[in-house]
Amino acid sequence: MRVLLVDDEEEFVTTLAERLTIRGFAVEYATKAADALVLAGKNVYDIAVLDMKMPVIGGLQLREMLERQHPEMKFIFLTGHGSEDDYRAGSTGAGYLVKPVDINILIQKMKEAIEQ
Amino acid sequence: MHSEYDSLGESGLQFFGKVSASIAHEIKNVLAIINENAGLLEDLTFAAQKGAAIDPDRLNRVCLQFNKQILRADEILKNMSRFAHSVDRFEGQVDLHELAVLVSNLAGRPAAMRKLSIVVEPPATPIIAKNNPFLVQNLIWLCLESAFGATTAGGTLRLAAERNDGRSGLRICGIDGLTEDFAAQLPAVCADLLDASGAKLIVDSVKKDLNLVLT
Repeated sequence: MRVLLVDDEEEFVTTLAERLTIRGFAVEYATKAADALVLAGKNVYDIAVLDMKMPVIGGLQLREMLERQHPEMKFIFLTGHGSEDDYRAGSTGAGYLVKPVDINILIQKMKEAIEQ
Repeated sequence: MHSEYDSLGESGLQFFGKVSASIAHEIKNVLAIINENAGLLEDLTFAAQKGAAIDPDRLNRVCLQFNKQILRADEILKNMSRFAHSVDRFEGQVDLHELAVLVSNLAGRPAAMRKLSIVVEPPATPIIAKNNPFLVQNLIWLCLESAFGATTAGGTLRLAAERNDGRSGLRICGIDGLTEDFAAQLPAVCADLLDASGAKLIVDSVKKDLNLVLT
């Protein structure tokens, strides 16, 4: 499974990418939406895991942009707890997880999204 | 009671709520990084149990990450504590530079979301005003929020406490989209906050400065 991780917290996204790589996923990551769009312009990903709140372009907006490039791409959002984001992310039909993330649940959600 | 009390109370609660939510978000990010690094240690331990070699440098980087995030969380919570205690006194001697540093720290994430930086320039001598610390913080916050909306992404806002003509004030510089009607675009409660704290707002659309003048 080819995974694109996007989160403005670099230490978070690099470590999560390393852990997913250990588990056999092909992972690339970006810390801002513009870089994610560049990666998605060059590569194909099965799924993108997007932080909801990022500078300038947030997760919801980035999803729309990525979907225009790759209509078949699946999405999972990472959100803060108890915020309106949770409901907004849920209302898009994509899966969402609240940080801190349990990697096993993230993998399960990714697999479910791909199988849909 | 009367409308002024209501608007100040409502604005104060909204201010408290926004700052609390922002702090919660920051702490969540810290926990997420600690969680991933703890998970990575588990992964490395599991691999070692299967016979793989552990790279000491990799372990060291994880430890450094723990230390970094603990310091980050400590700083966030110190700011939260200072902010929470700002309602302890209804009125007192307010060090405007210290207050500006605190509010700029609290506004760090909202600023970063707009790709803006905040720099607080220290004065040569302390700039003190007798006022309600929480009301002044709320005013600075509202001014900054509006300044964010009037500043081009990538810009830097500079805050400087200063004393002119016997009055203490806080100048916010670098609002490149500042226009004469900036004050009119501020939330309505600003007028009540200015009135309650005996402050006034001076807009300099040429220098692109906003000056919050206290007593």
